[in-house]
Amino acid sequence: MPYEWTGTTKEASEKPGASCTFADGNPPVCTLSLWPYRSLPKRGFVIFIAATCILLLLPLLPLLGTPFVWSLLPFLLGAVALIWYFLNRSYRDGELLELLSIWPDRIELIRHNPRGPQQEWSANPHWVRVQIHPASGPVPSYVTLTGEGREVEIGAFLSEDERKALFTEINEQLSYLRP
Amino acid sequence: MADAAIHGHEHHDERGFFTRWFMSTNHKDIGILYLFSAAVVGLISVLFTVYMRMELMEPGVQYMCLEGARFAASDATCTPNGHLWNVMITYHGVLMMFFVVIPALFGGFGNYLMPLQIGAPDMAFPRMNNLSFWMFITGTMLGVASLLSPGGNGQLGSGVGWVLYPPLSTTEGGYSMDLAIFAVHVSGASSILGAINMITTFLNMRAPGMTLFKVPLFSWSIFVTAWLILLSLPVLAGAITMLLTDRNFGTTFFDPAGGGDPILYQHILWFFGHPEVYIIILPGFGIISHVIGTFAKKPIFGYLPMVWALIAIGVLGFVVWAHHMYTVGMSLTQQSYFMLATMVIAIPTGVKIFSWIATLWGGSIEFKTPMLWAFGFLFLFTVGGVTGIVLSQAGIDRAYHDTYYVVAHFHYVMSLGAVFCIFAGIYFYIGKMSGRQYPEWAGKLHFWMMFIGANLTFFPQHFLGRQGMPRRYIDYPEAFAYWNVWSSYGAFLSFASFVFFIGIVFYTLKYGKRVTENNYWNEYADTLEWTLPTPPPEHTFEILPKQEEWDKGHSH
Repeated sequence: MPYEWTGTTKEASEKPGASCTFADGNPPVCTLSLWPYRSLPKRGFVIFIAATCILLLLPLLPLLGTPFVWSLLPFLLGAVALIWYFLNRSYRDGELLELLSIWPDRIELIRHNPRGPQQEWSANPHWVRVQIHPASGPVPSYVTLTGEGREVEIGAFLSEDERKALFTEINEQLSYLRP
Repeated sequence: MADAAIHGHEHHDERGFFTRWFMSTNHKDIGILYLFSAAVVGLISVLFTVYMRMELMEPGVQYMCLEGARFAASDATCTPNGHLWNVMITYHGVLMMFFVVIPALFGGFGNYLMPLQIGAPDMAFPRMNNLSFWMFITGTMLGVASLLSPGGNGQLGSGVGWVLYPPLSTTEGGYSMDLAIFAVHVSGASSILGAINMITTFLNMRAPGMTLFKVPLFSWSIFVTAWLILLSLPVLAGAITMLLTDRNFGTTFFDPAGGGDPILYQHILWFFGHPEVYIIILPGFGIISHVIGTFAKKPIFGYLPMVWALIAIGVLGFVVWAHHMYTVGMSLTQQSYFMLATMVIAIPTGVKIFSWIATLWGGSIEFKTPMLWAFGFLFLFTVGGVTGIVLSQAGIDRAYHDTYYVVAHFHYVMSLGAVFCIFAGIYFYIGKMSGRQYPEWAGKLHFWMMFIGANLTFFPQHFLGRQGMPRRYIDYPEAFAYWNVWSSYGAFLSFASFVFFIGIVFYTLKYGKRVTENNYWNEYADTLEWTLPTPPPEHTFEILPKQEEWDKGHSH
């Protein structure tokens, strides 16, 4: 599941006396992280590189001790280095992370881009509107948050079902803060 | 923050022709570019074969004359021009191996279909994809330039054979040979980058829930092929770099006079060369699996063994290379090993053939054009495989080595095997790719012309080989005349079918019947590309597909 909740705003809303606001420097009562799906586990990466290296050794073994090794080796190592680099780059492209933090008095969305600057948005949760656009967005069931005069997207890279679930869950969390 | 973009589907394609096709980073466009470029280069190298078969039609030399190449019979004196002949066989081989079949199957179908089948929005590195394509074009240009630049014997082009064996290749005059080496370098780099892209896409961009053993067979075949390319092409790059330094910088890697070893080049070359033949045929296996499943109206039999057979063929392909060179003076033990290892490959290949037959068994078979090609492939590849078993025996190979029997064998598996796969794929997917369907009768006529023509060309070459006719010669004694003339008729018929095919493609693209259904075959064409509109929109699967769209549960 490429998104994960930690904590809930429910407890915060049940203890109105306790201070857990952003203004007092408290940690968020609830956070949500979202990231795009990647299908290769790190273990798979290791297995793939190992198998590649072993098979690349085959033509080298009989040449050990001859000058031919030195003309083949750079190309073979180059191939391993390239696939290593590009697989990692593909992981990095997937390191997009959206982090939603909720306090009783503040909601904050930070988007860590793999390359490029981090993007931020924050508002008061009381006034934030969560919307789902079934067909009018760039992806079906596009989820957006509106507040502080700005409309921002969340989880556009998730699958459609995940976004639908996400929409309900964010609304649920926000509803606890609105007695 | 990523501000919301709720302007709906206002995305209009405003790119001009140049921007769309020359600066494309879209995997579907690049796939189509690969297919068309491969077709153009294919036509060139097919023309070479027609010229060669013209020359071989009758004993004596009638067309390839030192007085000038002729294309019509003439009574003027004709001094045989062996160099021209050698150039023809060399460039036919080089172009077909590096610039036609791999680009068509791996570059073309692989680029177009693999991301669709695994539900990825594009390749992992779209701009690198564009780079691969243009490096392939550069390589092709270098290859053609090499054909037209000063080479050995004071003539144009190099006549050293596609394997570029030293000392022939190191002593060939002119700079044509150097250009050929660069051509192979650049196309090799292109293939490696392409392979890395495919591997990364396959490994890291599969749809959620699509575990490795749920991936469609064609995508699997592309992955194994990409892996073979990654493993074998650097070895080739090393080998031809040594050729280059031997030619230009006075090294003696392959020159016994300086302590080098020309046989070693053969080992290194075939360490690449044998995986290369699997690189050529494996994507074809993938296409055929889908075609047979669709038109037998049954899920493919034995999905898991099929995948493991692909992997096994790939791995075994690395440990059998010396069967191309039994006669270079290896020890008996070495020859026994390579012979046994080679015969072992018949097992995974047999698993595939029998699984296809088992898929047909009890199926409701529909003889649409792609299915005809798949049947043709099944028959021809099996014939080629059987002669492969014959040739794998080191003892028998002494008699068959460098005869037309070998020519017949590798054309049955590659020319007929791989090319039939390409045609099967084109007829299977042309409707999906273009939104227009080919005329069924024309596809069938093309098939029968090609099937008869190709068999007529290559089957008699088994007889010629058994009679002892050596390959790579411009001329032959009269005793071989009978089957050579039949072989030439076959080649002309095949060529006519190819010209007809070009006509079919252009007719289809311009006037073909429009198809609008997502899946115009039947529900057994159940991979993700068939859930898309026909032709697919420019951007596909920007939304991850749902598991029920591709996971039919029965095929794995």
